[in-house]
Amino acid sequence: MQEATFLILTALADGPQHGYGIITEVRQISGERVKLRAGTLYTALDRLRADGMIGVDREEVVEGRLRRYYRLTPEGTAVLAEEAARLHANAAAALRRLNPGLAGGAA
Amino acid sequence: MNEEVTLERSYRRILAWYPRSFRTDSEDEILAVLLATAEDGQTRAGLAEAWDLVRGAVRMRLWPAAPRPRSVRVAVKLMLAGAAAELAAMITVISALGSVRATVAARDAAAMQAVHLHQVTVIGLAPVAIGMWLWLAWANGRGRDWARLLSAGCFALISLSVMAQLAQGVAAFAPATMIAAALVWALGLSSVVLIFTPAAGRYYRPQPAQQ
Repeated sequence: MQEATFLILTALADGPQHGYGIITEVRQISGERVKLRAGTLYTALDRLRADGMIGVDREEVVEGRLRRYYRLTPEGTAVLAEEAARLHANAAAALRRLNPGLAGGAA
Repeated sequence: MNEEVTLERSYRRILAWYPRSFRTDSEDEILAVLLATAEDGQTRAGLAEAWDLVRGAVRMRLWPAAPRPRSVRVAVKLMLAGAAAELAAMITVISALGSVRATVAARDAAAMQAVHLHQVTVIGLAPVAIGMWLWLAWANGRGRDWARLLSAGCFALISLSVMAQLAQGVAAFAPATMIAAALVWALGLSSVVLIFTPAAGRYYRPQPAQQ
């Protein structure tokens, strides 16, 4: 899973978000490191919708402009949980090898 | 306000690169995001922004996200295999060109004219056939209903030509030619069967979205 996709799913993990909201959340989650652009975001959303990972929660019109809220589907939640566990296990393994003295420590 | 109108026009020009289905569904939405992330006083799309949008458009066109049923995915692969089979057959004919002509000239000089005509036809038609397979693979992958009908028509043509060849007697053809013809025919048959399954039908003729 690409990092942008992972972060988009993570942004939706605690509730529905609209496009601009996802960009803000992703920037926050990644510690200002990942600044999603609209083209990247919507290509990813298009694919995630087609794959059934996310769905449209609701639509609002704000100042004459369409605002669509996306939410994780149960499938998207499961895939995100699986990917997060995998990344977590990898990171833990890396930390264990870097700090053999701290086996079973902070990781 | 005027600046925003100019900026919006600039974005819409780039968004025109996106597939129509995406624009119908999401153009206003993505535009709202673009305008929300734009700098104050910005009047045209930035270079990095424009590049990101164009890249997204190219990706959507080359790898559309619409969930293709398995049958359609397999049919598209079979059609690509059909193109590869035609290409292999064409290369075989071209590489055997010289030796076939030499053999015929030695045995039966009078048949030379017919052999020449046959070789020219085969080599001339092969690129057309390869092009048709590729084009139909592309169009069927995108769920174009006309592509489905055209595929069935092409398969009928292949069947007719195979029957015509059989009518001349199997003995008239080299085993390799018969195997190639049978392979192409089988690829045509299986891909046409796959694109006419009920699951594929829903992909080609989606239910109109509720109003």
